[in-house]
Amino acid sequence: MNTVLSRANTIFAFTLSVMAGLTFCCFLTTSMNDHLSPIKIDVNKIIVKNVQDFSTTRDKNDLGFITFDLQADLQHLFNWNMKQLFLYLTAEYTTPNNKLNQVVLWDKIIRRGENARLDYRSLHSKYYFFDDGKGLRGNQNVTLTLSWNVIPNAGTLPRISGVGSKTFQFPDEYTPGNARI
Amino acid sequence: MDAIKERLNAIPSHMDYKGQKLAEQIFQIIIIVFAVVGFAWGYVCEQFVQTVYILVAGFILSCLLTLPPWPIYRRHPLPWQKPRDDSKEIPQKESKKAGGKKKEKSK
Repeated sequence: MNTVLSRANTIFAFTLSVMAGLTFCCFLTTSMNDHLSPIKIDVNKIIVKNVQDFSTTRDKNDLGFITFDLQADLQHLFNWNMKQLFLYLTAEYTTPNNKLNQVVLWDKIIRRGENARLDYRSLHSKYYFFDDGKGLRGNQNVTLTLSWNVIPNAGTLPRISGVGSKTFQFPDEYTPGNARI
Repeated sequence: MDAIKERLNAIPSHMDYKGQKLAEQIFQIIIIVFAVVGFAWGYVCEQFVQTVYILVAGFILSCLLTLPPWPIYRRHPLPWQKPRDDSKEIPQKESKKAGGKKKEKSK
């Protein structure tokens, strides 16, 4: 404290300590949030094809196409300790080969300040809905859920499942090659 | 270079002990007050960045107030003894303390 430099060092170190404490308090104010929100998913068109998945094998695999509606109001999730939400729509189903299959069909990033009231109609999936075999045709129990990651300024990165899901079934017949939805 | 160094060293930067204590208390109080106010304000307007801005403002203010050795920090100078005007006797005294052998060698 007897020279300018040592005083500057002390003040800077103290400021950084206080800032760390403030950040921790900011985390504490939001640590009790459950980040839950009701959502509504509907499925419109469902077809399944049997095509070659070039990325894995020469065999033909089942490829599902769906369009879906999605309504969710996530505005109330945002607080001062949240930078962005990462939403992703997952399809979950069981096949004879695997007890649990999870495929991410669609995702979206909502930054702070952007519109978090989602109202989509007839949305196409972003990513291919490939099964790793022939488990989609006639599958009676495919469940769509919307989940999200909370990306905070400070604290944990919770992974939340939205309240509400949609179960649908794939048709029993393949749609021929070039047909589109 | 040497001229610049001499000029820099000529700038007084010293605080006495009570001044150092006072400076430390001042910047701690300022930064903590700004931190509390910034936290409340950031919570109200839901922007943590406002908290950080206010804390940085407190940092700058405390730098202005406590980095330069303002006169308020120099009000309790140490009561140094006056330098004695017996520069001629010093070599003799030192040689006495150092002992006989050194005395012979040094002379």
